[in-house]
Amino acid sequence: MTNFAAYGVREIRDGIAAKDFSAREVAASCLANIAAADTEVHAFLEVSEALALGQADKIDAAISEGRLAECGILAGVPVAFKDNMNQLGTHTTCSSRMLAEYRSSYGATCVEKAIGAGAIPLGKLNMDEFAFGSSTETSYFGATRNPWDTGRVPGGSSGGSAAAVASAQACVTLGSDTGGSIRQPASFCGVVGVKPSYGVVSRYGVVGFASSLDQVGPLARTVEDAAFALNAISGLDLRDCMSKDTQTDFTARLAEGVSGMRVGIVPAFMEAPGLDGEVKAKVEEAAENLEKLGATFVEVDLPHAQAAMSAYYVLGPCEAFSNLARFDSVRYGYCDPGHADLGSQYEASRGKGFGMETCRRIMLGSYLLSAGVYDTYYYPAAQVRTLITHDYRQAFEKVACILAPVTPRTAFRFGEISDPTLMYLSDMFTVSVNIAGNGGMSLPVGLGADSGLPVGVQLISPQFKDENMIQAAAALESCYDHVRIAPGFAEGKAGAR
Amino acid sequence: MKRLPEVLRDWEAVIGLEVHTELTTLNTKMFCGCALEFGAAPNSHTCPVCLGLPGALPVPNKAAIESIVLAGLATNCEIEKESMFYRKNYTYPDISSNFQITQGPVAFCMRGWMDLDVDGAAAHERVDLKEAREQGSYTTRIGITRIHMEEDAGKLNHVGSVDGRIAGATHSLVDYNRCSTPLIELVTEPDFRTPEEARLFMQKLRQIYLALGISDCSMEEGSLRCDGNISLRRRGEARLGTKTELKNMNSFKNLHDGLVYEICRQAEVLEEGGIIYQETRHWDPTARHTIMMRQKETADDYRYFPEPNLTPFVLSDDFIEGIRARLPELPDDKAKRFQADFGLSAYDVRHLVEQRSTADFFEACMEAAGGVGAGGGAVPGGAEGVKPLAKPLANLIINDVAGYLNANDGTDLADTALTPARAVELVRLLADGAVSSKQAKEVFAAILAEDKDPQAIVAERGMEQVSDTGAIEVVVEAVLAENPDKVAQYQGGKTGLMGFFVGQCMKAMGGQGNPKVINELLAKKLG
Repeated sequence: MTNFAAYGVREIRDGIAAKDFSAREVAASCLANIAAADTEVHAFLEVSEALALGQADKIDAAISEGRLAECGILAGVPVAFKDNMNQLGTHTTCSSRMLAEYRSSYGATCVEKAIGAGAIPLGKLNMDEFAFGSSTETSYFGATRNPWDTGRVPGGSSGGSAAAVASAQACVTLGSDTGGSIRQPASFCGVVGVKPSYGVVSRYGVVGFASSLDQVGPLARTVEDAAFALNAISGLDLRDCMSKDTQTDFTARLAEGVSGMRVGIVPAFMEAPGLDGEVKAKVEEAAENLEKLGATFVEVDLPHAQAAMSAYYVLGPCEAFSNLARFDSVRYGYCDPGHADLGSQYEASRGKGFGMETCRRIMLGSYLLSAGVYDTYYYPAAQVRTLITHDYRQAFEKVACILAPVTPRTAFRFGEISDPTLMYLSDMFTVSVNIAGNGGMSLPVGLGADSGLPVGVQLISPQFKDENMIQAAAALESCYDHVRIAPGFAEGKAGAR
Repeated sequence: MKRLPEVLRDWEAVIGLEVHTELTTLNTKMFCGCALEFGAAPNSHTCPVCLGLPGALPVPNKAAIESIVLAGLATNCEIEKESMFYRKNYTYPDISSNFQITQGPVAFCMRGWMDLDVDGAAAHERVDLKEAREQGSYTTRIGITRIHMEEDAGKLNHVGSVDGRIAGATHSLVDYNRCSTPLIELVTEPDFRTPEEARLFMQKLRQIYLALGISDCSMEEGSLRCDGNISLRRRGEARLGTKTELKNMNSFKNLHDGLVYEICRQAEVLEEGGIIYQETRHWDPTARHTIMMRQKETADDYRYFPEPNLTPFVLSDDFIEGIRARLPELPDDKAKRFQADFGLSAYDVRHLVEQRSTADFFEACMEAAGGVGAGGGAVPGGAEGVKPLAKPLANLIINDVAGYLNANDGTDLADTALTPARAVELVRLLADGAVSSKQAKEVFAAILAEDKDPQAIVAERGMEQVSDTGAIEVVVEAVLAENPDKVAQYQGGKTGLMGFFVGQCMKAMGGQGNPKVINELLAKKLG
């Protein structure tokens, strides 16, 4: 049985349009494959079979009636959504016990746009609880396993989104990135992960973690697939005040190459303590490849980037504390039974409904915002944000994009990092991008020399110039011919049953 | 407990107000597209945003921003071109997201003021002011700290208790229809020194908001709510005392009475050597006292921080000037114009402009009077010719019309049978002496009840006032002849008996005698 989830966007769209295969065949093959493959990976929390088949039939009907134009740029493409995105007809759990039974009563803009563009929705994907984490280990429903080595984490928080693409269970997935949650798992799983500039994709309907940093983006196996998906989900949405009408065709410069492009490199990132040799080597190799393609490298400084982590761990928990206050067990969410008064019901329900890392962030935010403390932490963090934004603005006067590591090392083993502050270092190269609102993406550049595990490099673009990094990524991608699907998954697992 | 005048001799009361106003004239809520409708079925006007469902985002209502800028311009505030929304975090079942979106240190409107003209009985409370004591009137300026924009919470309905109180309730139901209703909160400086000043301020603010058309300003239904902060200090003392916050003053009378009580209570506590605690107190209008709701030993920590889903608001000069151009004539200006154009007293104009409907009606009447004279032609003397009608028209509107509207709660003047033309006709009948003032009241009631013109009512009921001197003279002579002893007393200097003679004449004429003519004839005969 063909595993259509291993195909690219263009292959599927063209194949369906040419009636080489039907959307229903695509959907059915993906559903069968998930049933087999996901026992190994655990990327999916919910498989939406009826929705997938219904959408496939709609596409097929349109094709057979010659209404090709209506099918959209993701027609028949099997996609799946991170489980913090509301989708009608599904649960939206945020991988939390708190929302284990919660069913969406409306759809997120990014989800509706993807489906509106013809995507076949396969289901909802595992994540760190409320997106707090870098490994999916904080999921109430159990961790997702890295398809390249199931003894290792897929990264996080969009671990399910990265693993599903890497294991060919979906062609494209959507994730969200607050400090690195798309890019780091994309790097760990060897797939492309794009965090567009803040405002490119509407956040409406995506459960907020840190609203001023959250951004939705696609994960896919090629830059082109990610660009198609970004075209489908981006655009002005009046329901998100931060959304912007960038009027960008993210596929426009895929074939333009990088000849004459000035690319920045940040010496402080390359010399950062903790950056593994094999990762550093891959970034340097990528720089050489870009130079061979005609790009010139310029050293740029981000003098305040070292404070990004501190600012992030102030701003993030503050906003999270407030955003998660709504989960009070009364109208929806986990409700601990048998309490005589509201106060104890609140306490018990939240205490049992939230996992340890979620409680940690809530407590941290609650403390940081309290009277007398706010001025010491929140206010300087907001100032740091302004400084970092300014640093990037200055750097981007000299370069079109920046090349950097994504994360200091390759995928680690389950339980290997138990100190939360060490876990937080996974995001040391990614958070500053969220802080400044720039675009950032992870591009797989093969396997690490020591670990044999996927390594990604990060490309960072100025705010609302995401096409710059996509252009560079597409050019760089052509230098590599490594497989994007983890060994053993390309053919699908359905036949093995 | 001492009474207020006595207390205010020794103590100075320092009062500030916080006034919440729901922008009821808007069509939709503050941060979503749900309809604003009072009294709709519970939770029928809700959506993911106002229900605080995960993933929903707020989008500000532009019309609400326009309303608050109008309010700021009308109260002499500076409009801040850059301000932000903040989150006020607290957990309560009526607030769906467990935070309220409000404003931070910089509100849309800052540093305004309002002048109050205080006269009559209201001026008596200000025992410290020489001006008030000697002239019986004074003007005082009340500083307005800020007016900020925020969203209202939902409404809790407590079930199973007396009067829907939370105490004794078996459970509570939440209606989120009111959740995210646009609310503006005006905070004054602690510039009030008497309960009357506070009451006058609220009345005037209400007039302004009504003139702006931004709210229906119903204190009863809660679209206009006010809390007071009260502290006392010894006369001559500069340092402020500890304040209490007073709630539940849902009428002008309750505002005044609640403040009076609280001032007197604090004075008693202090004079007995006690301590005023910073606490929130509730005015109970039935028991006529204030009761402690909760003590505030430490300030509540609302963990304010900038709302991360909304960008800072930047108001352009064009936007602000566009709003300024929309400012209607404000009650103060209207009152000044009425005084200048029609020669009315300060008292009359203040009451005329209290409601936009009565002010508009008065103007329509004056226009009707000017357009058509008594005989259907042009009014002799033009505008000056109708000027004498202004006072009786003002009386009719302030007393009869306002009384009728108050008694028939919610009636719109435009929906009644009283047209400006009929009001003018009625006032003319009275001015010409064709009906007595007592009869005029009857005609007024009949216009509203029967939807007929005053002339027709007068004719139907045969109530035309007798102004014929000959007919009245007969009656006057008869009355005087029947009461020779009283006539003697009158002529002996007991002139107060005039009222008795007029009354007897009126009685004999079934109330239809023209009192003016009767008076004249009596005066002449008693000579």
